[in-house]
Amino acid sequence: MNDGNAIYRFLQPLAPDFVGDWGVVVTAAMVGVGIVVAIVSVIAMVSVWLERKVSAHIQCRYGPMYVGGWHGWAQTIADGVKLLTKEDLIPVGADRMLFMLSPSILLGALFAAMAALPLAPAFYFGWFDLGVFMILAFSSLTTIGVVMAGWASNSKWSLYGAMREAAQVVAYEIPLGVSLLAPLLVAGTFNLVEASHDQADFFGMGWFVFKNPFVAAASVVFFIAVLAETKRAPFDLPEAESELVAGFLTEYSGIRWSFFFMEEYAAMFLMSAVTAFFFFGGFESPFTYLAHEAFGDGIGYQLVCFATLAVKGFAGIFLMMWLRWTLPRLRIDQVMTMGYKYLTPIALLCVLGAGLWEGLKYALF
Amino acid sequence: MSDQTKEHTPTITVADQRVASQKGEREFMMDVRTQDLEVNMGPQHPATHGVMRILIRADGELVTGAQPHLGYLHRCAEKIGENVEWLQYLPYTDRYDYLAAMNNNLGYSLAVEALLGIEIPRRATMLRTICAELNRIASHLVAFGTYGLDLGAFTPFLYCFREREWLLMLFEKICGARLTYSYLRIGGVFNDAPPGWLEEVAYFCDVFEEKWAEYRDLLMLNHIFIKRTADIGVITPAQALDFGLTGPMVRGSGIDWDLRRDMPYMIYGEICDANVFDVPLGTGEQGQLGDCWDRVYVRVQEMMESIKIVRWCLENIEDGPTIAELPKVLRVPPGEAYVGIENPRGELGHYVVSDGGKVAVRCRVRGPSFCNLPILEDIMPHTFLADSVAIIGSTDVVIGETDR
Amino acid sequence: MDFQGIYDRLRAVDAPGLTGCDLPRDADPEDKKDKGRAGDAFVLVDPAQWTQFLRVCRDDERLGFEQLVDLTATDPGKDDENFWVNAQLLSLRHKHRLAVKALLPKGAATIASATAVYRAAQWHERECGEMFGITFAGHPDPRNILLPDDWAGYPLRKDYEFPKEYHGISCE
Repeated sequence: MNDGNAIYRFLQPLAPDFVGDWGVVVTAAMVGVGIVVAIVSVIAMVSVWLERKVSAHIQCRYGPMYVGGWHGWAQTIADGVKLLTKEDLIPVGADRMLFMLSPSILLGALFAAMAALPLAPAFYFGWFDLGVFMILAFSSLTTIGVVMAGWASNSKWSLYGAMREAAQVVAYEIPLGVSLLAPLLVAGTFNLVEASHDQADFFGMGWFVFKNPFVAAASVVFFIAVLAETKRAPFDLPEAESELVAGFLTEYSGIRWSFFFMEEYAAMFLMSAVTAFFFFGGFESPFTYLAHEAFGDGIGYQLVCFATLAVKGFAGIFLMMWLRWTLPRLRIDQVMTMGYKYLTPIALLCVLGAGLWEGLKYALF
Repeated sequence: MSDQTKEHTPTITVADQRVASQKGEREFMMDVRTQDLEVNMGPQHPATHGVMRILIRADGELVTGAQPHLGYLHRCAEKIGENVEWLQYLPYTDRYDYLAAMNNNLGYSLAVEALLGIEIPRRATMLRTICAELNRIASHLVAFGTYGLDLGAFTPFLYCFREREWLLMLFEKICGARLTYSYLRIGGVFNDAPPGWLEEVAYFCDVFEEKWAEYRDLLMLNHIFIKRTADIGVITPAQALDFGLTGPMVRGSGIDWDLRRDMPYMIYGEICDANVFDVPLGTGEQGQLGDCWDRVYVRVQEMMESIKIVRWCLENIEDGPTIAELPKVLRVPPGEAYVGIENPRGELGHYVVSDGGKVAVRCRVRGPSFCNLPILEDIMPHTFLADSVAIIGSTDVVIGETDR
Repeated sequence: MDFQGIYDRLRAVDAPGLTGCDLPRDADPEDKKDKGRAGDAFVLVDPAQWTQFLRVCRDDERLGFEQLVDLTATDPGKDDENFWVNAQLLSLRHKHRLAVKALLPKGAATIASATAVYRAAQWHERECGEMFGITFAGHPDPRNILLPDDWAGYPLRKDYEFPKEYHGISCE
């Protein structure tokens, strides 16, 4: 399967001779970038709409109901158009260069991380043997963007937000990475597609959380760390709208602000997808199993895989929203305490336990 | 707050530097000067509940000093009181504490009535009590809801506003206004309750009782909420007395004081004799006595006590006139009177001085928010920035009243 | 305790600066101009011994005024030569109130700050200071509180004239 980019494979037979291999590679790359951007935008759009609807229904409201007709589905598009047409404000005294650069860095890092996410077993932008490492590495690069934004804004509230983000991400990278080691021990691979295939047994229900109790414990730790990593409540301290006005976003407006927004929601999907891949079966579900029985590796199977991943990703997003609209925010010292004193040791124990469990299983069976 | 800017210069002298650089260590510290960050929380800030500014001196996340600055909403209410007729001043009282306008009307009316020495019809008194207590619930719902908002819990805020909306609708039915009522007039109330209004209030009481328990479980007993509010912003009983705190602020510190019970006005004496309501006190249940949690929980419990008072009034209300006969142009006998009533935020005092004319000589308002605020300078230092938001929220300040 | 009881007690402990009391009374039926006096009774205090008086009120066991509820001033009229400084004391233990008044000459409107006795006085005194131009000697932080720092004049005085403009903004 590791024969490179799926788009490249698709385009290669179609290309006329004079284009040459290079031409196909460049075209494939362009198409890939286009697809990633489109996917990120669509995910962000759907998630923003979902956030508004979920929060509304949690709070006994309807949320958007008019734009587009059916439950205001086009509200986000309308908002996007509005944001595009807004004046681009850069505060006096801001570091213009950094101020303009930071949303790009943020979004660029996210796109790079997104590129390592396979959308179906046969549809991926590149076959990364260290796929999950790439995702984690690039998604933590987004922090640089946030810190840059906070520093460049020349606002004290923004600076607070940036410093909180830095402290929080440093604290939660550790449990995030360590707790992911537990399913990695079971999977034996860093590649997301292969990890997904490892969970295909038991009619598509051989998820790592069911195979090993320590992975189940690690999934909780990982999810909490993901919340902190994506700045979602109760860990939304970098934004903390009631304390820091809007944290690092305070001085941003218009389309630049929407980049941050897009990044947040796409990162939520990305991290939910990673959670799905390494804890909750990835592409695998009983439906995938049935589809595989019916279609083999054909296009129908690929579509079912994609749908399964999307459902799992959005289930994770829904859970994050549910928490956000239910819980109060933690304080910075409590966040730090939780990260360093509780989650890190628990994550380490989970890895140890998962390793022992796998070892015993290997020894006994 | 005398030391305005405090700079921490590292204690490295020139001689030290030379020694250090010779040794090749700590060179990087030579021209590092750390300074406290001074940041203005407000006038436009989500946590200040209006247009208050708090100058915060912070060492990173740690608040080392706080100084409230007021006056952004100053509307010269007291000066206006000296320039308009007694009855005309009533709508201005709505504007100080716009979350509990009924109580403001009541305070002013009682103060003027103390000078007039007139008898208020019993039905009017009952209606006044019902409205004042319902308004107390509405006000506490805002206090409680926005407190959740301050701590990042958005949802309870909207739940609270749902019930408040119902209350505002009830007020709209009785007087036509949702926020600035001017319903309680000098001499009684503006008009009688419309048919069916009292039954609707009774129904509200029944529904609210269920909802109240939900809200308490949802927010007050939430683990994160307790972690954020317990042991934060502790006001000792001695401090509370010294700063002249009143209302839920002083009760949160465990001091058993409620003007409705201890210095009864209107029919509260009768209500107390009937043993209708209790005065909830801070107990230090989740942390130290007098912390933010205690203060907020006192407010939450008070809502339930107000429901009991409203129920008692609904049972005992009789038909009759709703306003005393008064001349169109009111001339108040010369003299001075101070009347303090229990507003949702504490003691709302009106000090009125008359020389027998059509306008007041002095119309002083002692707003509880104004008097509850100076404590911030004492309790905000040495907390985290996020705690300072929790502390401001727990004072339940309404800027319309501090600035008047 | 009712007002009479408090007044007797103040006399008994020989409260410093106590000069008398004023009780509400009915109108004299024979004198048509006299309308009587309505409202609360209050005690009159010599402004020179203001803080000593408040301290006695706070510390005496039977008076027990733990709280200064309100402190304000009044300008009774353009022609009057005194300001009134009014304080409302409250005893939570004994459940009684006391209105205290000091007559302060407009020419020398200086009175000692009560902040050392009741810290509640701090902001009230700042407000009185800016509104009436009364100086509270020994106040720790005598800045304006509600008005801008550069506000000219004392708005709550009866002879106050509204400014025509403020920083170039017309007020008419």
